[in-house]
Amino acid sequence: MLGTEFCGKVITRTQNLGLNEYKFLLKAIVSCGIGEQTYAPRNVFEGREASPTLKDGISEMEEFFDDSIAKLLSRSGICPSEIDVLVVNIAMLSVLPSLSSRIINRYKMRHDVKVYNLTAMGCSASLISLDIVKNIFKSQRNKLALLVTSESLCPNWYTGNDKSMILANCLFRSGGCAVLLTNKRSLKNRSILKLKCLVRTHHGARDDSYTCCTQKEDEQGRLGIHLGKTLPKAATRAFVDNLRVISPKILPTKEILRFLFVTLLKKLKKTSGGTKSTKSPLNFKTGVDHFCLHTGGKAVIDGIGMSLDLSEYDLEPARMTLHRFGNTSASSLWYVLGYMEAKKRLKKGDRVFMISFGAGFKCNSCLWEVMKDVGDANVWEDCIDNYPPKSLVNPFMEKYGWVNEVEDPNNYELPDFLK
Amino acid sequence: MPPILPDFSSSVKLKYVKLGYQYLVNHIITLTLIPIMIGVSIELIRLGPNEILNLWNSLNLNLVQILCSSFLVIFIATVYFMSKPRTIYLVDYACFKPPVTCRVPFATFMEHSRLILKNNPKSVEFQMRILERSGLGEETCLPPSIHYIPPKPTMESARGEAELVIFSAMDSLFEKTGLKPKDIDILIVNCSLFSPTPSLSAMVINKYKLRSNIRSFNLSGMGCSAGLISIDLARDLLQVHPNSNAVVVSTEIITPNYYQGNERAMLLPNCLFRMGGAAIMLSNRTTEKRRAKYRLVHVVRTHKGGDDKAYKCVFEEEDKEGKVGISLQKDLMAIAGEALKSNITTMGPLVLPASEQLLFLITLIGRKIFNPKWKPYIPDFKQAFEHFCIHAGGRAVIDELQKNLQLSTEHVEASRMTLHRFGNTSSSSLWYELNYIESKGRMKKGDRVWQIAFGSGFKCNSAVWKCNRSIKTPIDGPWTDCIDRYPVHIPEIVKL
Repeated sequence: MLGTEFCGKVITRTQNLGLNEYKFLLKAIVSCGIGEQTYAPRNVFEGREASPTLKDGISEMEEFFDDSIAKLLSRSGICPSEIDVLVVNIAMLSVLPSLSSRIINRYKMRHDVKVYNLTAMGCSASLISLDIVKNIFKSQRNKLALLVTSESLCPNWYTGNDKSMILANCLFRSGGCAVLLTNKRSLKNRSILKLKCLVRTHHGARDDSYTCCTQKEDEQGRLGIHLGKTLPKAATRAFVDNLRVISPKILPTKEILRFLFVTLLKKLKKTSGGTKSTKSPLNFKTGVDHFCLHTGGKAVIDGIGMSLDLSEYDLEPARMTLHRFGNTSASSLWYVLGYMEAKKRLKKGDRVFMISFGAGFKCNSCLWEVMKDVGDANVWEDCIDNYPPKSLVNPFMEKYGWVNEVEDPNNYELPDFLK
Repeated sequence: MPPILPDFSSSVKLKYVKLGYQYLVNHIITLTLIPIMIGVSIELIRLGPNEILNLWNSLNLNLVQILCSSFLVIFIATVYFMSKPRTIYLVDYACFKPPVTCRVPFATFMEHSRLILKNNPKSVEFQMRILERSGLGEETCLPPSIHYIPPKPTMESARGEAELVIFSAMDSLFEKTGLKPKDIDILIVNCSLFSPTPSLSAMVINKYKLRSNIRSFNLSGMGCSAGLISIDLARDLLQVHPNSNAVVVSTEIITPNYYQGNERAMLLPNCLFRMGGAAIMLSNRTTEKRRAKYRLVHVVRTHKGGDDKAYKCVFEEEDKEGKVGISLQKDLMAIAGEALKSNITTMGPLVLPASEQLLFLITLIGRKIFNPKWKPYIPDFKQAFEHFCIHAGGRAVIDELQKNLQLSTEHVEASRMTLHRFGNTSSSSLWYELNYIESKGRMKKGDRVWQIAFGSGFKCNSAVWKCNRSIKTPIDGPWTDCIDRYPVHIPEIVKL
């Protein structure tokens, strides 16, 4: 786990970071909404984050596979040889043979399993994998699919000092999820959720959306992920576009009619004045009971909350996931879902709306219907009772606030715990 | 043939017996129906027209019965047509033609090798021996950044190579098919070892300003057979979405994967892999039927990852100095053979004519019941296909497959010549081979093509296409300037 003190140690041993970068980092971490119990790959704890080897990257993934997939298969009583489709999406690691082949080898799956290995599709990749499975299920009956989603942090640590790229180091954390999907009627009674619809929007055609999140080399030739200033705007645009397509599919007819009526009224009242609210005129709560938002960062959650007019209760699962697990990229949606399940919020007939963003710029969303009351605590088991905590402020400010007062970096005495 | 009988196989008369047997079994339905129809028509003629009319009138059909039976017929016909899987057409495809400035003749390659590996003369020797026996020619190409001494594999240059290969293939495809970027509904890009963020598929969407509701997928790490995996995915998607166009881009970006260490097993890919890419347009629109070149008949995928040895035979790992490279094990050929057998077992019943299947079944039963010493019957795949596109993985792969499937030199000519002219371009090599066959004017309407590819993991995938219309020799394409020089004789060892 990455505690506050340990983070300080990591920062001090990172070369190339100067005082300005420290101040910037402090500001970023304090306002990011990430807590003290998030996870990082093993090589960070061994002090080797700046020089990752291929083995480290693969062992990070293998640890995750051993834990999640084994747990999933044993809990559901499914034998690996029954799996017909395997889709793996791990964005930033591309090895030969693919990670999907590793899974097949480890669990000795059948030789005619349909396997797909997606990479580089960003934080929204798990919904893209879901799209593949959905399409395969439409044309083939009685199949079982395993979806494995994770993010590889090990090989992607940025060792330079470009501010737009250091941010990625602070926000992303280790995590992953394995999901079992099926279209077999016999498993209908055991299933938890049913997929109702899935919509994908890709804004790659616009140059400013495409370049806002890219992997590139900085001036010194060090590789990192650059997060541009146009990112919030690109995200909002993609989000609005996506909502435009999915709203008619998920909202009840009454709400849509009401919206049309209100828009018509507004158009007729040409002199109604410029009270332009950023709230959406549509009330999503009429069609959706729970919101699973991608935990991209505090700003993202706040932004979506404001535009969809959501209450703190609705945003709580996403905020708590960000606090407890950080931004685990593609698998974050499933952790948020896990929180709702652990808090026993999911009841039969409820509808869950998942939305995520990704590099490129993509916005994908889908709607699930809950099939039965669920209350399994799963990964939140050990800490669910402590949530929501009274305060979300992390102790970085009090421990490292002194950095803001430092004038001369060479003569300053570092506190004991950082030595 | 079982050993108890004398060896008839050299007899010429046996050839005719075999032909007769094949004709008999393959057309058995027609042959049994004809006598029955002749019998029925003779009976009808004997009855005379008046009798037939009386028979007809006595049926007492009233309106309701006629309507019901016609509705039933229409209903069954509708159900049949609705449940039929949609036909997938390959409208056209375009292969990337590398610029002349990227050529790597043997002399250049060896000079670079000597300069980069100057502390390891044994490794240089090894590379020379591999190059001599590789079956590659002097016109294969490597990307610009690899021409530097030492090579400069930065992310910028890797993106540059990707843009060069993918965009020129796509431009060529747009020109050939008249497809507008806005009409692409599905985009699949596969590149095994290079996946920048945003993905290569996002790069294509950005360059050509594709629609925002496009279904894009970026597959990677799936090795040299990834092209056929992408085709499989495109097929599944086109089954679900009617009236759609799909573009599949298959390529392999060499820049970030050029091994810069000394380990021998890892130097091998450096000698074989070369720059190349292809863009393919698939569609399920009925309007494309007339001009589509091929129709997709089957895709069969086999994954041998469950077997540890198969899994480890193509492995990306770090060598002793921490440099990353792909190591190829010595038992690669044996494993490829096993994977092929597995694939054929599934493919055979789908494509082989009845005569071959019957023979195979008889020998299988015979081996199980009578005598296990009977040699297994290898079905004659030349009966099922006119053309073969074997992934140009290396000379050994092509030799092995030629032996296993008992193919003639002409059948494997496309693969060998592609290996010679373009090297091992990974997933796109199948398309260069198909283009070779078309450029030679050998593709006729109704011809069936079998594309086989192997990949790390270990996978063996095959696709079967049927030629939809007569194809004129292409006027543009990677082979246009050199097709007249081919086929060339490739010696066992080229002395360097």
